[in-house]
Amino acid sequence: MTVATTDGTTIIGESILISGSLAGDEDLTVRGRVEGTLTLTRTLVVEPTGQVKAEVQVKNCIIAGVVVGNVTASESVEITREGRMVGDIAAPRVIIVDGASFRGRIDMGEVDVGAERPRAQAARPAVPARAASRPALAPRAAPAVRSPEPRKSEEARPAPAPVPAAIAARPSVPPAPVAMGAVKRKVIVKPRK
Amino acid sequence: MAGIEKASAPRAGAHTVIGSSIVIDGEISGDEDLVIQGTVKGRISLKESLFVEASGVIEADIETANVEVSGQVTGNIGASDKDELKADCKVVGDIRAPRILIADGAVFKGNVDMDVKEAKGK
Repeated sequence: MTVATTDGTTIIGESILISGSLAGDEDLTVRGRVEGTLTLTRTLVVEPTGQVKAEVQVKNCIIAGVVVGNVTASESVEITREGRMVGDIAAPRVIIVDGASFRGRIDMGEVDVGAERPRAQAARPAVPARAASRPALAPRAAPAVRSPEPRKSEEARPAPAPVPAAIAARPSVPPAPVAMGAVKRKVIVKPRK
Repeated sequence: MAGIEKASAPRAGAHTVIGSSIVIDGEISGDEDLVIQGTVKGRISLKESLFVEASGVIEADIETANVEVSGQVTGNIGASDKDELKADCKVVGDIRAPRILIADGAVFKGNVDMDVKEAKGK
């Protein structure tokens, strides 16, 4: 009898109900029902006939059936087309396939999220800002030299006067702090000349 | 055994197996065969056969149709059909079943009740 059964994999058959805690170090396939807590160091597969109403802690989780409860996976959680889940997922990799239904929160880990969001947020505004400021400098600087000459004189009096050569560029700079780098370059370039 | 394996093979799809590293604390119920290679504490109630294999450890009350024990069982066993204690098994608890088989080498401590009604009928 033992030979006929599969080794290394636990199967919960369709008509089986387990209520309580279930723990183990091997793959588990659920075709029946499991209620309570489920802790594995390997993969949990909930097949289309399977229903899991439990706090789940596993390495990998593949959901093709019904899962109600929170799932924490050290590697991945996948909800397949037939899968339905209500609860929170915490896993570094979460795959939700088209057709799957899910309600709950997903936490893929703070580190990853923290790294990705600033990049995305910073990159989007930064790119147009830089793009705008760089070309803007030249046009701003050009009109600045002509019209805001009184500003130059006002600012120049309290401000240090030893850089008269940069006057044309400097007064136009303050409104756009991003331009400081560009201005410095200009200033540096001029002394070299 | 070959015949039995063939018979169980079609069931294998629906067969429930509790693997050797699995620990269940609670209740298991169902309408199909159950093979236990791991540890179960609590209660087991089935309408079919329960197989406790050599690596299986049960600390639970059992209610099934058939029980076949090759591992360890601590708890009361109630079988509506047959209870078989195989060689090298260890069972502590009471057994209630119309047919009880205890193989040479099996270790058992507890009461045996083979259904009084049958005795009265005879």
